[in-house]
Amino acid sequence: MLLLCVLLLSLVFVLPKQSLSLLQGIGQPLVQLLSLPLTALAALDRGGQEAWYGYLALHQVSEENRRLQREIQALRGRNNELRELGRAGHRLAALLALQERLQAKTVAAQVIGRDATNWYRAIMLDKGARDGVKVEMGVMAPDGAVGRVVKVTPFTAIVLLITDPNNAVDGLIQRTRDEGIVEGTAEGQARMKYIPLLATLQRGDVIVTSGLTGGFPRGVPLGTITRIDRIEGELFQSAEVVPEVDLHKLEEVLVITDPLPVGDGLERPSARSGPVSPEVRP
Amino acid sequence: MKPALYMTLVLGVVPLQTSLLHYFSLGGVRPDLCLVAAALIGFLAGPVEGMSVGIALGFTQDLFSAGALGLNLIAKGAVGILAGLAGRHVTNATMATFVATMVSLSLLENLVFLFVVRWGGELGDRLSALPSILLPETLLNAALGAMLYWLFTFRRPAG
Repeated sequence: MLLLCVLLLSLVFVLPKQSLSLLQGIGQPLVQLLSLPLTALAALDRGGQEAWYGYLALHQVSEENRRLQREIQALRGRNNELRELGRAGHRLAALLALQERLQAKTVAAQVIGRDATNWYRAIMLDKGARDGVKVEMGVMAPDGAVGRVVKVTPFTAIVLLITDPNNAVDGLIQRTRDEGIVEGTAEGQARMKYIPLLATLQRGDVIVTSGLTGGFPRGVPLGTITRIDRIEGELFQSAEVVPEVDLHKLEEVLVITDPLPVGDGLERPSARSGPVSPEVRP
Repeated sequence: MKPALYMTLVLGVVPLQTSLLHYFSLGGVRPDLCLVAAALIGFLAGPVEGMSVGIALGFTQDLFSAGALGLNLIAKGAVGILAGLAGRHVTNATMATFVATMVSLSLLENLVFLFVVRWGGELGDRLSALPSILLPETLLNAALGAMLYWLFTFRRPAG
């Protein structure tokens, strides 16, 4: 055996080219034979590596996904916050515009609650006697009249809404100039009573405050007539009124601390019919 | 312990009633937490405690309502006494007896309010308050009362 090996080695040294080609001839099919499992193993290795890196990447993606989701949630929260601030800004701008337009002294207040019982339609404000709010003062929103103050504590005030059956405000039909009393109804709407029979009412007529009573300047919108009731033999007619303000969605209001115009009280009639109402706008 | 609990109740119930309770309303009508609390305390702890807590709750409720001061004070005090008397005199105080007491007291109090608050109103307005305020509130009070009664009594041994 040893002799054979020595012979083969000497053959390699004596005839290097021939021996090399012989070795290559023997080796090639062997390589081909071995390349199959090698390829398979390499593929397995590659697959394993890909799977591993894929797993790692997936893990990272999953983590990134969680992080991005948290970020989205935070941004959504921030977005909602900004939207809410934007809406509050719009409301406050409208309130400020009204305050500037209205020639009366007002105090801005926020609605902090509803009546503690179901028997009154009332809201609670965060401003009270310390801010100059007194009983019987009128309260309004940018769209129109809201109600009047019925109870005051140093820090809060309770406002009876115009839709409460215990509330009554002196109203004026904008088109015909007929007067009447606007009262709340049990259904949460309002009704104008004591309208003269000769008044030519129409559905869609706007009712505004007359400025005579109730702590409101003249011309603050109260509501729109939706139905007219004329009963045979009655001295007056009445009308169903839908309030101008959505009283379920009130957030900020103005308390009219003095319905007179700022300045000379002698200019009362012209100033009281101030620019709040479209009827007196140029 | 009890006075502190009652004090917390008096200070907490009315703000809850005025601010967050509209989420649990039925057709815009909310349960009357003060009435439920006065009735529950009266029924479980007796007429004196029921009356005392009822008066305190009613007074606080009056402060946060457009109605005349004293109306709820008297009404809730009376509810506390009546619930206490009912609790003392029923042979077997169960959830059913409490709910029956609750329904009766709620209807009674709301009927009194209907006549006092809507005294000057038209008959139609008064009658429309029956399905729009009185009945939904009674239903909500009874449901809430039953739930609270169960919460406060389910761990107590029977008898």
